[in-house]
Amino acid sequence: MNSKGGQRRLGRHLILVVGAIYFAFPFIAMARFAFQNVQVFNLGRATLFDGWSLSVVTNAFREDYFWEALRLSLQLATGTALLTLFILVPTAVWVHLRIPRARVIVEFLTVLPYVIPAIALVAGIVVIKPHARWFLNSDLSLIPFYAVLALPFTYRSIDAGLRAIDLRTLTEASRSLGAGWNTTLMRVLIPSLKSALISSTFLTIAVVLGEYTIADVLLKRTLPAFMAEYRQSDPRGGYALAVMSLLATTLLFAGIGIATRSKTRRSEVTDESSLKMEETPT
Amino acid sequence: MRDYVGLLPFLAFLFLFLLVPAYSVFQQALKNPDGSFGTDAFREAISGQNFQAFKFSITFSAGAAIVGVVAGTLLAHAASSVERPRWIKNLVTSFSGVAANMGGLPLAFMFLSLLGRQGILTKILEYFGLDLYAGNFGLGEVSGLIVVYSYFNIPLMVLVTLPAIEGLRPAWREACVNLGGTGFTYWRRIGLPVLLPSLLGGFLLLFANSFSAYATAQQLTDNSKIVPLRIGFFLGGDVSIGEDAVGYGLAAWMIIVMAASMGAYWFLRRRSERWLG
Repeated sequence: MNSKGGQRRLGRHLILVVGAIYFAFPFIAMARFAFQNVQVFNLGRATLFDGWSLSVVTNAFREDYFWEALRLSLQLATGTALLTLFILVPTAVWVHLRIPRARVIVEFLTVLPYVIPAIALVAGIVVIKPHARWFLNSDLSLIPFYAVLALPFTYRSIDAGLRAIDLRTLTEASRSLGAGWNTTLMRVLIPSLKSALISSTFLTIAVVLGEYTIADVLLKRTLPAFMAEYRQSDPRGGYALAVMSLLATTLLFAGIGIATRSKTRRSEVTDESSLKMEETPT
Repeated sequence: MRDYVGLLPFLAFLFLFLLVPAYSVFQQALKNPDGSFGTDAFREAISGQNFQAFKFSITFSAGAAIVGVVAGTLLAHAASSVERPRWIKNLVTSFSGVAANMGGLPLAFMFLSLLGRQGILTKILEYFGLDLYAGNFGLGEVSGLIVVYSYFNIPLMVLVTLPAIEGLRPAWREACVNLGGTGFTYWRRIGLPVLLPSLLGGFLLLFANSFSAYATAQQLTDNSKIVPLRIGFFLGGDVSIGEDAVGYGLAAWMIIVMAASMGAYWFLRRRSERWLG
């Protein structure tokens, strides 16, 4: 019995170790290739610490195109995040307050971008293009389409935020104190949804910084497009940019983790204090 | 009914930037060269080389989905049953959240530097006398794409299946043991049947996920082999007039495949919530 349990535990640990190797090695291989200027066939114990440098990244920073691409991607990320909040927050609040029955339908609509993936969406954009050149010729016209691509993630995080608060009580309290809808939204709802809005914004940025399909087909020069093109002339530089972009994405997700965790801790504290207030005799 | 007015901005946004493009794809796909309605391009999109592309795409997507389901479920089970140290489970779930969304260029670059012809693991294996590229292996072939796509499929499966695995009640296992069942009986008669809807659902989700991926594949394989890249090739404009309709036909078929698998996924998820909700 005991040895059987031991075997089972060994099996689990083996799975975790194999998993860790599979997920860590490709990243290590890419980082080594990017930052160590030693050919694979020269690699050995003697050369393991030779030739490491960050110069490939600083070289990429010297390209004008890099800064233009970075600027465009940051503009797109900002625009997409704002558009997402502007459309989704009122919609989600409205659905929760007025038409809870429609929640399933809205949730269904928000996962439609899975059914129409980026490559099919961009095919549609190419069809529309001759009829809307005034709009689609601008690089910033990507913003609404990126907001669509991020929709399944962003709506879910805002929806989860709304489920976690007592929306009805908050709005009724605010309204009965004389606040209009705008004041309620700006001064009551947005502050109490802060962590959900941060998550949604970080998710949007991660989607925009990783999106390649639409930019590639429409020949828009975003950061991922620069990465692909730069790799043609300097493979190590391209890989170094990929390392940076993965680190940025990981930081964004870590930020989401911190935002949601501190939120739960704070709400626990408020729960405790409200309990204490009730127990104190007045 | 007046309550639905508040949905109008959202619906208008979806209509303009998702549904109109999707509709345009079908409209172009169902058009003859002279502009009248017809199914020529639509049928052309699933014959000849296009059929080969669909076959190739479906083969590696199904393979990648099976690998993802099995490995993801094993990993989720291992993570959920390892009690100490406790950070392991948190690490697995947090990492899965990041890696499940890691399509794109960096993924392709990672595997090119690991398993490409000059990749470090390729060279290490060569040193030990194993030639990875002696057989049919290639990062752009079925085998290679399965290895690469597992990098986001396995974490996605962990996220899908972990709640289901945690939903298995210890009481069910105890009941099975009390009735004389072994560990095998438990999984054969209780565990797997309860998990089955979420495993099948996971398969469909992973399949759809692999089938529609563009960026990673573009860096690993040549342009006309798989469906998303073939669509990109036709959209690129290097084809004669009239032929571009085939590209829209391919895109329309892709939407149909995605709708079928995501629809079935949606149905199975509801099924799975019956026991594990």
